[in-house]
Amino acid sequence: MKKKNAGFYLKIYGKILAQDLKSKMSYRADFIISTIGMIFTNISGFISFWILFKNFPSIAGWSYHEMLFLYGFSLVALTPVQCLFDNNWNLRGYVYSGDFIKYCFRPINIFFYYMSEVFDIKGLGQLAFGLGTIIYSWNRMGLDVSVLIILKMILFLITASLFMIALMNLAASTCFWMINTGYVMVIAFKFKDYSRYPGTIFNPVFRFIFTFIIPITFIAYYPSLVILRPDAVPALSWLSPVIGCLFFYLSYKVWMKGATGYNGTGS
Amino acid sequence: MKLKKYFTLTKAGIMESLHFRISSLVLLAGNLIYLVIIYFLWKAIYASAGTEEVSGMTFSDTLIYLVLASSIFTFMEMYLVWQMGRDIQTGKIVLDLIKPMHYRNFEFWSLSGNVVMSFIMTFIPTFIIIDIITHGRIHLGFNLLFFLLSVVMGIIINFNIDFFIGTVCLYTQSIWGINIMKEVIVLLLSGATIPIAFFPEPLKTIVSYLPFQSIYNAPLTILIENDMPASKLAAILLTQLFWVCAVSVISKLFWHRSLKIITVNGG
Amino acid sequence: MEQIIEIKNITKEFKVLNRREGLSGSIRDLFSRNYSAVKAVDNISMSISQGEIVGYLGPNGAGKSTTIKMMTGVLEPTSGTILVNGHVPYKNRTQNAQEIGVVFGQRSQLWWALPLIESFRILKDIYQISDDDYNGMLEFYKSLVDIEPLLHKTVRQMSLGQRTLSDILAAFLHNPKVVFLDEPTIGLDVSMKSKIRVLIQALNQKKNTTVILTTHDMGDVDALCRRIVIIDKGKMLYDNDIEHLRGFFGSYITLKVRLSDVPDDADAETMKKEASKLEAELEQKFSDDKNLSVGADEEWLSILIDRDKLQIMDVLNFIQSKHSIKDMKQNEISTETVIRKIYEEGV
Repeated sequence: MKKKNAGFYLKIYGKILAQDLKSKMSYRADFIISTIGMIFTNISGFISFWILFKNFPSIAGWSYHEMLFLYGFSLVALTPVQCLFDNNWNLRGYVYSGDFIKYCFRPINIFFYYMSEVFDIKGLGQLAFGLGTIIYSWNRMGLDVSVLIILKMILFLITASLFMIALMNLAASTCFWMINTGYVMVIAFKFKDYSRYPGTIFNPVFRFIFTFIIPITFIAYYPSLVILRPDAVPALSWLSPVIGCLFFYLSYKVWMKGATGYNGTGS
Repeated sequence: MKLKKYFTLTKAGIMESLHFRISSLVLLAGNLIYLVIIYFLWKAIYASAGTEEVSGMTFSDTLIYLVLASSIFTFMEMYLVWQMGRDIQTGKIVLDLIKPMHYRNFEFWSLSGNVVMSFIMTFIPTFIIIDIITHGRIHLGFNLLFFLLSVVMGIIINFNIDFFIGTVCLYTQSIWGINIMKEVIVLLLSGATIPIAFFPEPLKTIVSYLPFQSIYNAPLTILIENDMPASKLAAILLTQLFWVCAVSVISKLFWHRSLKIITVNGG
Repeated sequence: MEQIIEIKNITKEFKVLNRREGLSGSIRDLFSRNYSAVKAVDNISMSISQGEIVGYLGPNGAGKSTTIKMMTGVLEPTSGTILVNGHVPYKNRTQNAQEIGVVFGQRSQLWWALPLIESFRILKDIYQISDDDYNGMLEFYKSLVDIEPLLHKTVRQMSLGQRTLSDILAAFLHNPKVVFLDEPTIGLDVSMKSKIRVLIQALNQKKNTTVILTTHDMGDVDALCRRIVIIDKGKMLYDNDIEHLRGFFGSYITLKVRLSDVPDDADAETMKKEASKLEAELEQKFSDDKNLSVGADEEWLSILIDRDKLQIMDVLNFIQSKHSIKDMKQNEISTETVIRKIYEEGV
């Protein structure tokens, strides 16, 4: 047996993705309606944001444009979890019906095999919205543009995505141990809406909780400080890429533990 | 006894939810985390505003409003559209049609058990906690009775909107897209994400002509506003009653028209 | 011969929740739970050689699926050892998966929305099958069944039979040493069943693949298996040649009769009633119920007789004296009947 390295997995992913996209395109009506739904979601998010700032000029010392930047940042950071890890939402159904067992018979990593099955193209619309928002607010605030800053931006966007992915992995994997945990996913996914606010709004106790126990401040606040407040970047912001990797790894381990302990009842 | 067969369904729903005791706890825990985030977020927002009252809402009012809205959401969100969509796609809907009870009634009473359980397990504890946090800000008197009446009407309106949207799935095959559009519109225009009091004037006027504000905004306004004049109370309840009748009739007629599709195409 | 699967004294226990009844029971469950351990597989040992087709039989809930899940590495045994191809399946799941193929129940493992040929191509990459092997296998498949029309269909559009066929082809694609087939013919029509049996037979012979087959259809067993293993309630009941098993019941014979006082178009319900009526009459006459039993299908009442104890002619004469026999035939005992007797009475 040949060694299965990253190239092997990448090749398989590419192949499945291409086929999946081809078959999705054949369901045009569904694709169009879903895309419109996605646009609705984003517009409604902006309207809520706008209504809020009509009533209140700033939040905890953060201006309208800074908040807008945070908002766009979280939208972009959310794209990978939406596009690549969307099958987490179906996990409960597969485990409940016993169909999850079909993922256990292949000679490749179960987590990879499972996630490779779905690529949610709708997430790309969100990416466009997010990028637009970032560029607009960036412009309005007159922030610098340089190669280094762009690289930093990319690194910290990836970091933020890792936290969101890890959070959803953990939420989804609860279904391996408990029945009817759909609501855990809904709650975890709702966290993304509250990651868009500055971490300073919390008092010290809850700031600690929302940093180290339920790390929602890492989804937008800490990583974006590197760009928004370059003069006073806290150590946690610089550490966030490392913490993000660790947190993702932890979530992967938990997910795999659930998957390998799965006994396929329901058959 | 005609009602007995309906209450049997309610009882079955209650028993089913009791089996998932962990999910009730998760639901409550999720609400508490949400409460904490909302608390700090709006505290910071009000601190930035510098005034006690914004658009006629104090900090306590907003807090009570949003936390209870989220708690009501846990039983308003019945996942009915998903279920109908899936029943339609798998053809299971044909089996439901041959039950000796109208499909609409069957779904409503089956879901009613979950509503009762959510009310007891998550709404009441959340209600008590929020009342303690805001130092007994909620007036405890006859308004509770009107609140309950208003919530029940809200549930019926929400159910019928869901049922209407679920019926649309007969035509479109796109469950996700349709459902997300509905959810976004309902949550925004019903005042579940931001109290309608904060809306700018023109938007407020538009919303007042739509059924959505009768789902969340109506019961919550009754609960929060102290010494509400009888005329205003009557106006809110009558508006709700009007919408209960209107959406019930519309969703029922639409369902009956659409049934022909199933009987012609075989589901 | 080389042993491909070695199982020694495996046991698997599950913890199950005892739910209480009614609404008050549900509320009590909320506060205290009552678990008990159930042995799904209880001290089973067997060894299987390369190239065998083994029928793994047992009534519903006997522990067949659990055993297969342990052999495929999905479940870890509570105690005992399993070696498949020299691997411990649970510890080397991916390595083991490379050398086995599985068709599990009616759950298709293929990509639902993709044409079959695309699923095959992805599997080719996943199992790292060389171009030559892959093309050779496809050619071989084409010589066995008419797969051309299936290749460009998505699994979603296939009928159950086509889907099962595709799943079996996919399971053999990487030329595994062992293939596990869990009820491959369930729900299929007669012609599809025979097609699938021919296919399995051919693949087994050409590639010398070991096949472990669980089924409730004795037609599968008669067509494919020389050796059968029977388990019930987690315990091994029988492991040997199917002929040897028939030998146990060699003195039995099935006598089939049609009576003129039973209408030709009688439904299953009526036939069953007639059967038990006849059994009661026969028991009264021949006193010992161990030596005969009466069953029914749509047409015939079938009387299972132990020839060592009873004379066929005696039985026939007795029936003729009470009813009039319209038609009769006699059969050697069928596998179906043998297995049923074992499920009901043991060996």
